[in-house]
Amino acid sequence: MIDSVFVKPGMSPKEIVSCVRNLGAIALTSTGMRDAGQSDYKNRLRMRDLSTLSSEYDAMGLFSSECHGGARWHVGIMNRRESPFEEIALLREKMPNVLLQTLVRETNLWGYRPYPKNIIEHVISRVDIDVWRCFSFLNDVRNMRTVAEIVMKRGRLFQPAISFTQADWTTNAYYLGLVREMVDLCGGTDEIILCVKDMAGVGSPRRIHSLFDSIKQAWPDLVLQYHRHATDGLALPAILAAAQAGAGIVDVEEDSLTRFFGQAPLLSVASYLEESGLKVHLNRKDADVAVQKVREWIGHYEWAESPFKGFDYGVVMHRMPGGAFPSSFEQAQKGGFLHLMPAILKVMSLYNQIVKYFDVTPGSQVTWVTCSGIVNHYAKERGMAGVNHVIQLLARFVEEKNQEFDALMPEDQEELLHLFRTAPGDFRQLIMGNYGKLPMGWPADWVYTSTFGDEGREKIGQRREDSPLDALPDEDLARMRHELTEQLDRSVSEEEFILYLMHPKDALDFIRFREKYGDAPRVLPTDVWHSGLKRAGAKVEFEYRGVPYSIERVSIGAEHDGIIHAVMKVNNQMRVFKIETPRAKKEEIRMAKGLSDIGAPINGTVWRIGNPERGAVKAGDIVHKGEEIANLEAMKMENAIFAPYDAQIVEIPVKINQMVRQGQLLFVLEEVKQVE
Amino acid sequence: MMDKKIRKVLVANRSVPAVRVIQTCQDRKIPTTAVYSTPDRLAAHVFMATDAVHIGEAPPIESYLNMEKIIAAARKSGANAIHPGWGFLSENTKFARMVVDAGLIWIGPSSDVIHMMGDKIESKKIAIAADVPTIPGINSPKNAEEIRRWMKEEDVAFPVIIKASSGGGGKGMVKVSSDPEIENALAQARSEGKKSFGNDEVLVEKFIEKGRHIEVQIIADQHGNVIHLYERECTLQRRNQKIIEEAPSPSIDDDIRRSICETAVRLMQKIGYSSAGTVEFLFDSATSRFYFLEVNTRLQVEHGITELVTGVDIVSLMLDVAEGEKLPFAQEDINPNRWALEVRLNAEDPATFSPSFGNISRLHLNLYPGVRVSQGVYEGSDIPPYYDSLIMLLMTSGPDRETAIMKMDSILCRNLRVEGVKTLAPMLLSIIRHEDFISGDFSTRFIEEHMDELVSKFTEDDSEEEALKIARYVAEISALGTPNWI
Repeated sequence: MIDSVFVKPGMSPKEIVSCVRNLGAIALTSTGMRDAGQSDYKNRLRMRDLSTLSSEYDAMGLFSSECHGGARWHVGIMNRRESPFEEIALLREKMPNVLLQTLVRETNLWGYRPYPKNIIEHVISRVDIDVWRCFSFLNDVRNMRTVAEIVMKRGRLFQPAISFTQADWTTNAYYLGLVREMVDLCGGTDEIILCVKDMAGVGSPRRIHSLFDSIKQAWPDLVLQYHRHATDGLALPAILAAAQAGAGIVDVEEDSLTRFFGQAPLLSVASYLEESGLKVHLNRKDADVAVQKVREWIGHYEWAESPFKGFDYGVVMHRMPGGAFPSSFEQAQKGGFLHLMPAILKVMSLYNQIVKYFDVTPGSQVTWVTCSGIVNHYAKERGMAGVNHVIQLLARFVEEKNQEFDALMPEDQEELLHLFRTAPGDFRQLIMGNYGKLPMGWPADWVYTSTFGDEGREKIGQRREDSPLDALPDEDLARMRHELTEQLDRSVSEEEFILYLMHPKDALDFIRFREKYGDAPRVLPTDVWHSGLKRAGAKVEFEYRGVPYSIERVSIGAEHDGIIHAVMKVNNQMRVFKIETPRAKKEEIRMAKGLSDIGAPINGTVWRIGNPERGAVKAGDIVHKGEEIANLEAMKMENAIFAPYDAQIVEIPVKINQMVRQGQLLFVLEEVKQVE
Repeated sequence: MMDKKIRKVLVANRSVPAVRVIQTCQDRKIPTTAVYSTPDRLAAHVFMATDAVHIGEAPPIESYLNMEKIIAAARKSGANAIHPGWGFLSENTKFARMVVDAGLIWIGPSSDVIHMMGDKIESKKIAIAADVPTIPGINSPKNAEEIRRWMKEEDVAFPVIIKASSGGGGKGMVKVSSDPEIENALAQARSEGKKSFGNDEVLVEKFIEKGRHIEVQIIADQHGNVIHLYERECTLQRRNQKIIEEAPSPSIDDDIRRSICETAVRLMQKIGYSSAGTVEFLFDSATSRFYFLEVNTRLQVEHGITELVTGVDIVSLMLDVAEGEKLPFAQEDINPNRWALEVRLNAEDPATFSPSFGNISRLHLNLYPGVRVSQGVYEGSDIPPYYDSLIMLLMTSGPDRETAIMKMDSILCRNLRVEGVKTLAPMLLSIIRHEDFISGDFSTRFIEEHMDELVSKFTEDDSEEEALKIARYVAEISALGTPNWI
């Protein structure tokens, strides 16, 4: 079976590129472990299930497995409670022959803000990935420099990606300009593979053929990869067109994973290309097993699927990327505005002609928040009539008046000049140039007035032309690491620190979750992970650290005062878990926090407040540096509390003979400065 | 002549010591009476005894230190002997006298001897008289100035240690590292002495850096036979309380061993000691000199390792001696042929030594070849905040030190589970795995000096703990339904 493997981790980029050039067949990247799940299952497909495919991946002759990056990182820590690092480690172990591929944003990496250079360097150099697909939602190739340099210096394969959309302004000449910049950035065509990233699935077969053909004519040696979503229903012919025009690798996913917004089905693509006279490099037998294996667990993810079903040819207008589909519809559902989705998509298709960039993270989020915000605003103020009104207004402006602002009626002008007033901060950042250069230049001046009001004119003068890489000052990593150490009150691993750099708050939640629930996200089957054990006697069995485990539900008691007692058998031993419901009374213990707070050094009893010389002290008293102000007793040992400086006692939140916990607030002091 | 036959023993103690004494009584088919305070109503020792008497509320002064109530309890239950265990009233002269005056048998040394040795100042004088080396110090200083004067006159440098003269078990002992600390330290030692022992008199001694704590176990009968059961090393302490002990001591050679044991016997003969007792020494490894510290006129926590290496039952011998029997063996019959190690499993946060109270929701210990366990709690026990944090003693023994350490490692690492309260287990494991402990190179300051390193080596990788985290997740999702974050 090993015969099918033609590229392997450890090969230099040059060797990999050369292997693809000499393969004599179209190679495949499976997005089954990343984009497939992101586009149709909100990134909820779990490591435990996906890794069942690894033995097939290891033998089926893929170019790579896209198993990392995009939103998978963030959703991993937030929702699946899986770390991207443990995922890589597991896959390395289970499929050592497969190139692991990530998708990374050029300055945002796997987070949502542009990071300074030193963070990019720190993170990129510590993530063990073989193929680095890197894109810019502005196609601002300058922004890719840092990632490209570090990846190439590490001897890993850099894959610059063109964000593709089909519009009157995205001509072949425009894309060829980008390819030139990328090839120049990477010192030629021998150590890179260039990706055309059709993230919304909008490239018509003819358009795609023309694009690949013109790139191939200009750079015959450049290995091209086509990444395409299936949203418009035309993925297969578009992929064939790309392959016929010279794409060496195409992205696919297991047929059984396909729904509507991810990649095209692997076995179908392979058959279709072969029938059209192209050779495809794939071990069919293993691929078929992988496709069948998916069916064993995909049924557990119905809850994660998009509430919006079916292909959507309208995508060629609204251009919502496949990876954003399920999460956007989920937000609409949770926010109670699912019925407004058609209007939002319509507004998006007009908006993207006013402010031109590519709808892919973080641009797609800017588009989504801005457009859903506008529609919701009108819906709240004026109901459905208002929503229709704003769509008509935008259509009039874009389609009838061809965006000639002065050609609009004064009342329409006035309304447009307020349209973006409530736009999110990211939209403001974007049009100020803080993410980089917009592909077709700045939006029209009225957009600034609409966004910033009277300050619009001033803001136009403040737009930036440089790359955020040059604009952002380095962060103090030592301080940030210290910050995390303080938060966790323990030393932190490098991986935890990187998670924290990407998503500070969510990383903390994740780390605390795993401290409490251990490897539950890794070992539990998905039905139990999602819904628990549903009745007495139900059990879940798994292997963990080389030995079998069984967890059986015995009984779950009624709720009393916000507490439920759950009795479970863990490997036949009865265990009682005390579970707090949201109604549980939280016992508020005030802990010492700031410099003015004096906390208990130990668990114990406050047996004296004050000292033998002066007797008890109380709020309002002045105490002197080094003076004993309280004494705790624990197990018959005394622990004196001394005033750290001359101070007035503001508050004593404990009473004499009260039991206190370590760190519990004993005194609030206010320092008294000596006045001579 | 009073009837010296012990018919029933009241054990004036709780938890580990009470259980230990009751165990030997059970072996010898002697009925026992337990006493208990209100929070100890369902404690382990209560149910091991033949019967049990409530003696008061939680504060020790109202219960386990309440002499009248304890004697009344003995009368009520028909016990004719009282064993005090260790701690509480075990070294209380007045109580020993009250027991005898009440016509009961006191299982321990005479009240006169307790009195003589109970005061650190007095006992030091006696030691000097018996030609036993002692640490330079000053007795009963009235104030900080007097301490300063003594240090100047005797050319003593910091650190020094202030000890409550009737203290013990680490209580009322405060180390002073610099001049400005003297006042507070003196006040603390006095206050703790007053609170724990009702006496605020103190003495001050030079603090011997890197000192090692070695003690000799003595057993003596009422007929003048004083025998030593060799020494124990109790150097590993935190806050002056021992947490790991072993026998024999790895720090001394046979010459010093002979010398230190004979010195102990000589002192105990001199004071006419009977029953079990311990002579404590501080060993200065830099000079190979040992100094008398104190005599503990009672059964010690760590007596078990001596039992393991010598094969005798010290509690049983205490009963024999109390009944007026002669010791059944001579010095030359005692031939230790084993190495034993003990750790004190306290209910404390292992990283801070802060006590951990609460309910022991799970207690599981796999019995294991070469292990002895002395426990004062059971699964489900509450650990009330009023008393000592010791919940269990774990002892291992083997032909050599390596074997004893190896077995202790196995127990702590894979065969013991305590849930519901924190225990010192991770710290203990970290210590016995430390290269300096393994090589025998440590002092009484070992723990404070290596604290961060020891804490950093806590092994968190406990499969059962991890499985329970998973089970907790399943329990919560099963009880509360699919969480909204998922």
